[in-house]
Amino acid sequence: MPPLSSGQRGGEGRWQPSEVPWTHTNIPPTCVQPCCRPLCYEQSEHRLHKSSQMKMEEMSLSGLDNSKLEAIAQEIYADLVEDSCLGFCFEVHRAVKCGYFFLDDTDPESMKDFEIVDQPGLDIFGQVFNQWKSKECVCPNCSRSIAASRFAPHLEKCLGMGRNSSRIANRRIANSNNMNKSESDQEDNDDINDNDWSYGSEKKAKKRKSDKLWYLPFQNPNSPRRSKSLKHKNGELSNSDPFKYNNSTGISYETLGPEELRSLLTTQCGVISEHTKKMCTRSLRCPQHTDEQRRAVRIYFLGPSAVLPEVESSLDNDSFDMTDSQALISRLQWDGSSDLSPSDSGSSKTSENQGWGLGTNSSESRKTKKKKSHLSLVGTASGLGSNKKKKPKPPAPPTPSIYDDIN
Amino acid sequence: MVVSKMNKDAQMRAAINQKLIETGERERLKELLRAKLIECGWKDQLKAHCKEVIKEKGLEHVTVDDLVAEITPKGRGKEYKLCERKCGLRHDLFSLLLVQVFFFFNKEKHSF
Repeated sequence: MPPLSSGQRGGEGRWQPSEVPWTHTNIPPTCVQPCCRPLCYEQSEHRLHKSSQMKMEEMSLSGLDNSKLEAIAQEIYADLVEDSCLGFCFEVHRAVKCGYFFLDDTDPESMKDFEIVDQPGLDIFGQVFNQWKSKECVCPNCSRSIAASRFAPHLEKCLGMGRNSSRIANRRIANSNNMNKSESDQEDNDDINDNDWSYGSEKKAKKRKSDKLWYLPFQNPNSPRRSKSLKHKNGELSNSDPFKYNNSTGISYETLGPEELRSLLTTQCGVISEHTKKMCTRSLRCPQHTDEQRRAVRIYFLGPSAVLPEVESSLDNDSFDMTDSQALISRLQWDGSSDLSPSDSGSSKTSENQGWGLGTNSSESRKTKKKKSHLSLVGTASGLGSNKKKKPKPPAPPTPSIYDDIN
Repeated sequence: MVVSKMNKDAQMRAAINQKLIETGERERLKELLRAKLIECGWKDQLKAHCKEVIKEKGLEHVTVDDLVAEITPKGRGKEYKLCERKCGLRHDLFSLLLVQVFFFFNKEKHSF
């Protein structure tokens, strides 16, 4: 409301416009003027008297002043309230006429819908607390009832569409393949193609498990990194772990009877690896071992009179003049030391030994290839990749340093 | 004497009122009063009453006078007194007003 000017008082008749407002500038008639002093003496006396009277009045009034003032204040206060009411009326009237007075109302139906709920166990919206904790959803895929908080991960696995589900599936397949392989080995002993013996397969399976457990502390089994490193390490493992591959390629001859031995030796290479003491299960023409080795093994197992699978017209025939044991020892020790001095001066052997001793060079010999694949474990980057491709399962040769220790 | 007294009273009242207006205190007091009334819900009550009146009279035919006539008495009635007590109007505003009045009166006293 606009402030009212002093002369107006709309409709209340507090004072009339004609009334002169009493300000402090007004001089009351009792003031004494200096010019007319003698004349004014009477007047002044009169005035004094009057003023004293006034004062007395005032004195009498002063006691009532407070109450009066309070009354005045009360009246002013009432005025203020009435002004507020009026102002409010004007606002409402304007709102009605402009059409926005009823805008903030809702219809009673909606009001009922959104009424505040005041029941025990419910919040003010009427919802149950903890509703989703015990809620169970039915999976549309497998029709099982799953807890709500576990529903999303379950669905991911159930439908096979999440990030991890493909990885898990791949791992499972890899595992099952390996397990199947090892299991079938146990069943088929006569199978030429499979390289595992029962003893070896168990070892292999156990080894694999332990390897996996060993990796777990460092990486999440489902993350992509894991799979990459796994692949890489699997590759390395297969190359580097001599025991593993000798498992896969070897047979433990201790458990074999003489008949079995003979039959084996007639069909397989049979050369015993120094590291695992197992016989090679490859064919008679296995490129990893020489005929010499095969011969030595057969002589060892079957006696000097054993029927040798192949008749060699090599120069190495002369070397068999030595005693069997010595020959055998020398042959068995071809695996390792560079300080071997084979009494049989088989040129091929020495060359092989030398090639072995120089295993760090990138040559095409099988021995170096073995060494190479083993070196990869240590981390030396030689031309191993190509070698790897040629021989997916090279038997792991020792590095000179390692085998120096052994020998 | 009584008349003069009354006159004086009237004069005093008028003077004080004017003083309040001049210094702007009245406006400030009015704003304060409005805020307090909204706070204690007096305005909402009045609004509800207004709605009833309007529904009675019809939206199109409501006049200011109607509203004033209907609402003002209610505005000064019981609910108002309750609101007053609730938000301490008398305590805050009225005492403030009283102080102002006293102040102005004391200023005016010597001019009596």
